[in-house]
Amino acid sequence: MNNTNRGLNRTLIMVVGLVLLVAGALVVALSVVPAFGRRWSDIAQQVSSNVSGVLVDTPLGTTGSSWLWIGVIALLLIITALLVAFIVRQGRGHTRRLLSQPPTDNGSTVVDSAVAEQLVTQSLADRPELVSSHVSTYRIRGASVLKIAVTCRRGVSPTDVTALIDDRLHALDALVGAEIPALIQISGGFRARTTKATRLS
Amino acid sequence: MSESTPQRPYTRIVRRETHSPRSTLAVILAVLVIVVAAWLITEIVLNLLGHPPLLSAPAQLAAGVTALPTFATDLMIGVGSVLALAGIILMIAAVTAGRRARHSLVGERSAVVVDNAVIASALARHAARAGAIDPDSTRVTVGHRRATVEITPTSGVPVDTAAIEAAVSTQLDSFGLRPVLAPRIIVHSHGKVGA
Repeated sequence: MNNTNRGLNRTLIMVVGLVLLVAGALVVALSVVPAFGRRWSDIAQQVSSNVSGVLVDTPLGTTGSSWLWIGVIALLLIITALLVAFIVRQGRGHTRRLLSQPPTDNGSTVVDSAVAEQLVTQSLADRPELVSSHVSTYRIRGASVLKIAVTCRRGVSPTDVTALIDDRLHALDALVGAEIPALIQISGGFRARTTKATRLS
Repeated sequence: MSESTPQRPYTRIVRRETHSPRSTLAVILAVLVIVVAAWLITEIVLNLLGHPPLLSAPAQLAAGVTALPTFATDLMIGVGSVLALAGIILMIAAVTAGRRARHSLVGERSAVVVDNAVIASALARHAARAGAIDPDSTRVTVGHRRATVEITPTSGVPVDTAAIEAAVSTQLDSFGLRPVLAPRIIVHSHGKVGA
């Protein structure tokens, strides 16, 4: 229901996996294939001497260090910032607005999500087959969608729960004058018994 | 996209609710990469200020990479295989579907997603009632395409398998699950005494 970018999640996992696989294969190859190991040492030596030369040629004032280090730090900071943004971006998509009608001569009408959420929660509160219910509103492709998450007791048929909630949703439709798309999520049912077993002695 | 048809957003929502977003794994990896980046930044800053390094200064790191082939072969193979294996596991996680233990069912007004545990629990109740046995003697496992009902009968009391099978099939048909579950009834040959 939320608008987590799942493609991005998978891309990140793929990239990290690929890097680990290449690094692992490289480490194994370096020790197993001696010729490859020698070439690696030669090239690495050359690269590190080149880099040392470049570092000496790019001094930062009179500090005796290179300003390239500042560039490296900046690059690492950018990567960190992007990843933090990526983490914060997970699982958004709630909305507080259920409906907003185009304005007429008499003004405009806005219905808050809280109206639908509280109405549906209230109407399900006293049902014995449900342990709990939670209603939230998400914005999906420009439309508000209700999510009704219920936990039901042991042995309750999902069709009965669906029929019950559909019935309450029809009442809501009549009340707000629009049919709001809804997702019902039914969970629980195993450990949640109706009552404790009564012992007759 | 044809947003006018009401089914369109529902297929997308149901797909997203029955498959894992892979968020936990992605966030863990992101945090690990951030930790590594922060460590590198710290080492560079310490080096620039002329302080001793936390673990290893940039120059030592470079020397270590150059000297990789001279390390002990066993250690290298061990570390390398662990890294490669982790990489392969991550790549598999990135491309597989990541199905959750849920089914969708056809609602008249809304999209519906049901946990497999709820389906199992409802089937157990109906199977127990049809077979006139204790609900605690039935065990139902719901997979992606199969619902297995295991029944431990009370010793000496015959079990009406046909009635149980009919009840379970009727229930499954009435749920209208997607994907469809095929029922399988197993009656254990050893019963419970006095249950």
